Amino acid sequence: MRVRRSAPARRLALAAAAASLLSVASLAGQVVDWPREAPPRPLGAKDVDFPPYEIRTLPNGLPVVTVLHHEQPIVSLRMLVRAGSSFDPPGKTGLAGLASALLDQGTATRTAEQIADTIDSIGGGLGSGAGSDVTFTSVLVMKDSFDFGLDLLADVVRNPAFRQEELDRQREQIYSGLKDAYEDPDYVAGLVFDRLVYGFHPYGMPSTGTPESLQALSPDDLHAFHARYFVPNNAILAIVGDVTTEQAFKGAERVFGSWRPREVPDPAATEEPPPSVRRVVIVNKPDAVQTEVRVGHVGIPRKHPDYLALDLAVKILGGEGGNRLQRVLRSERGLTYGASADMQALKRSGDIMADTDTRSEATTEVLRAVVDEFSRLQRERVHPRELADAQAYLAGSFPLTIETPSAIAAQVLNVLFYELPLSEIETYRERINAVTPDDIQRVARRYLRPDRLSVVLVGNAGLFAPRLKGIGFDEFEIVELSELDLTAADFRRGVPTGAAPVEPALRPPFAEPLMSPSR
Amino acid sequence: MVAACLPLLPATAAAAVPPPPLDYDIYELPNGLTVILSEDHSTPIVHLELWYHVGSKNERPGRTGFAHLFEHMMFQGSKNVEPEAHMSFISAIGGQTSAYTTEDATVYYQTAPAHYLPLLLWLEADRMATLRIDRSTFEREREVVKEERLTRVDNPPYGRLPEMIYQHAFTTHPYRHQTIGSMEDLNAASIEDVREFYRTFYVPANATLTIVGDFDPEQVRQMVQRYFGRIPKPAGEVPRDIPAEPPMTGERRVTVEENWPLATVVIAYHIPHDGHPDSYPLHIAAKILSDGRSSRLYRSLVYEQRLAYAAFGGGNILEHPNLFFAVARIPPGRSTDEAEKALIAELDRLRDEPVSDHELQRAKNQFARDYILNRESIASKASTLAHAAVIHDDITTADGEFEIFSNMTAADIQRAARAHFRPENRLVLTVVPRGLPQRESR
Repeated sequence: MRVRRSAPARRLALAAAAASLLSVASLAGQVVDWPREAPPRPLGAKDVDFPPYEIRTLPNGLPVVTVLHHEQPIVSLRMLVRAGSSFDPPGKTGLAGLASALLDQGTATRTAEQIADTIDSIGGGLGSGAGSDVTFTSVLVMKDSFDFGLDLLADVVRNPAFRQEELDRQREQIYSGLKDAYEDPDYVAGLVFDRLVYGFHPYGMPSTGTPESLQALSPDDLHAFHARYFVPNNAILAIVGDVTTEQAFKGAERVFGSWRPREVPDPAATEEPPPSVRRVVIVNKPDAVQTEVRVGHVGIPRKHPDYLALDLAVKILGGEGGNRLQRVLRSERGLTYGASADMQALKRSGDIMADTDTRSEATTEVLRAVVDEFSRLQRERVHPRELADAQAYLAGSFPLTIETPSAIAAQVLNVLFYELPLSEIETYRERINAVTPDDIQRVARRYLRPDRLSVVLVGNAGLFAPRLKGIGFDEFEIVELSELDLTAADFRRGVPTGAAPVEPALRPPFAEPLMSPSR
Repeated sequence: MVAACLPLLPATAAAAVPPPPLDYDIYELPNGLTVILSEDHSTPIVHLELWYHVGSKNERPGRTGFAHLFEHMMFQGSKNVEPEAHMSFISAIGGQTSAYTTEDATVYYQTAPAHYLPLLLWLEADRMATLRIDRSTFEREREVVKEERLTRVDNPPYGRLPEMIYQHAFTTHPYRHQTIGSMEDLNAASIEDVREFYRTFYVPANATLTIVGDFDPEQVRQMVQRYFGRIPKPAGEVPRDIPAEPPMTGERRVTVEENWPLATVVIAYHIPHDGHPDSYPLHIAAKILSDGRSSRLYRSLVYEQRLAYAAFGGGNILEHPNLFFAVARIPPGRSTDEAEKALIAELDRLRDEPVSDHELQRAKNQFARDYILNRESIASKASTLAHAAVIHDDITTADGEFEIFSNMTAADIQRAARAHFRPENRLVLTVVPRGLPQRESR
């Protein structure tokens, strides 16, 4: 079992570290005459620059990024297309996800089986998937199969067949996967949180789709999605590893040069996510032994000028180099294995979410503490030492983020994808270190809304719902997990109107609702 | 059309270019600590990994989960380091640190900018020599570990599946229980247990320190001597008296009902330890069964017959004999019996007929890919070296296994399959959703 731990927040500078060593500890160690001493000083630091990379854009508008690396004889190829699950048309939720899953399941000239046979037989790897704003395809090959890898990537990206038979097969697998996922409290909490925060904005809809929405998708839908967004001027290609610059750019030109550019329509005009309101949704799973807790609200998009300062503020609340939540909930009270907060910043919007889980009986104590930490960050000026520690982590870890060629390429792709200035990569450390406690206070006051938090609790409601009033949550809704419907405003499955739910007989039996909802 | 003129197969389907061998030094301090150094100057960072050769298989009855609980205690301070401060030190230098516990070992690691290597060594030596063992931190950390068990095992669907498999497959060897342990045993653990475990297993002679990255080896040798050399060698040996699992004498069949949404079928065979001559062909057999969408289990059960929505297999090849699995997850409306027959048919096929040259070459190429990917980062280089030194007790296997795999034949695979994929050597575990009509078990 791999047991990863994340760093707790602790203000503890190297210089001050040896100061408080006089506290009595019971030493069980076998070493009695061990010296009391301060930690050793570092050796001389080396300057670290971001490693070289190159970007050229093909005449058809496809940007190609190369990062060369010759230690190991492998090359990885990655293509991003600027369209993801938030581009799903209304009623066709899950389209981008299904399209990405089917890219490698047959092209105009290759069957799914042929694709699998060829990539496996050379010891390569091939994968694809979709996020909210992006669809990606990755190919990994040994250096002597570089040209083949490029051919395969171009074929699956440009010529997917979306055959009915493969669609049916894939859909069947997704149905089964969803049956499992809908019983997983962690997964359900994330889905409900997104819907609660973003409402019916595309960022709020489940990217995998629902059994009903998937049922409605056809090869025509998939082809239309592909034709609309999969064009060179809407994509980015990265070639990373043991090749030469010339091989890389010539290869890209060879397989993507004839790909015709086309104007890409904006995704279905969408409004802003709805304004944040305080709302508490409990998903009742009577056999749960723990409660999944999600707390947060809408944030800002990635390209927003306040991104860096707000991201730092959220890291102080619950991220690497900081993490007040972990300190309070785990290190001080032993209430959870892990607590964190994260800012997700997307193209058009974003959100701030605290995430933890705890034994059912401790649910209200944990929820109260999480909400208090949101309030404290918004109300109280952050101590300069605490900010300095978070900055030290983020700026100091820079050399760790450029170790592998794929990690280097990921940073370049990220900047290109969000249309940020490339200089941001080089200036990252300076910009982090320039943030002041005043900046943190300003963004915390401006964007944190502890009075308008969305709260999702997935667990055995009978063990904690009656106590919510005691911690100031007078209003909440309880939805039975077996009746959860992400497409309904009240999250509740009503009288079926569309397609019948898949395999209703397999739904596990659940107890009657414990109490009636308050709204 | 780009695709029309493409060959269906790449020019070379033969074995991949072998990766460059790892360059390392290995030596031992007078107190018994094994030290492995491997320079990599490509990025100015360093990774330090300290393996203690103690895992859940060293736990005594009634104390399951203890090795991992103890791992948590190692972050609770030592003579010169306050409780929880280990992580703060590392985070304040932009580094990363964590630990994990397996059946066989407990591993502490940190990655950091290279010039902080003295701090990393100092921190690890301080807790090896002078851990603080304090009742209140122990009791709080026990609560954290119980939460960890709820998060990983008890609350998610299928979380208890590994526990079920091992409780039915093993009777005697401590692999019978999971590293996380039982709630009952976690509650029973005492502060005296912590002291005894520390004294017994956290000694230099039971530890291997591996450092990979951008450093000057002479300087590092001096620093290692300075911080670890001052830890004395305690008297006594580390106990290694672990009861062996008796051979199975007949197939075990178990059907269980659970509140999980879909049915699962598991076939598990007992197999030999890591480094046993049969362990290598079993690695290759796992690739043939389960690596990629052209692998036999996916192709047959998921793609062609649609008996499963996921099917996979592989060996849990550890220091002592463990299990080789094949697993099928059953979609709504399909039968567990059919999936069971299909899984067993695939394992029987490995036993009854040699794999084709094409499949063998495919598996070797996939192995070479994994081998190369395991040498991309300094962290993966370090764990490759440490695994060879600690679990194989022979660091040359870190590079040497490439040749063993390159020379593997279809006959080797068939030999291993014949030796171990026998009905009397297997557990067949079927888990069905509660309330569904139970399938007949033969």
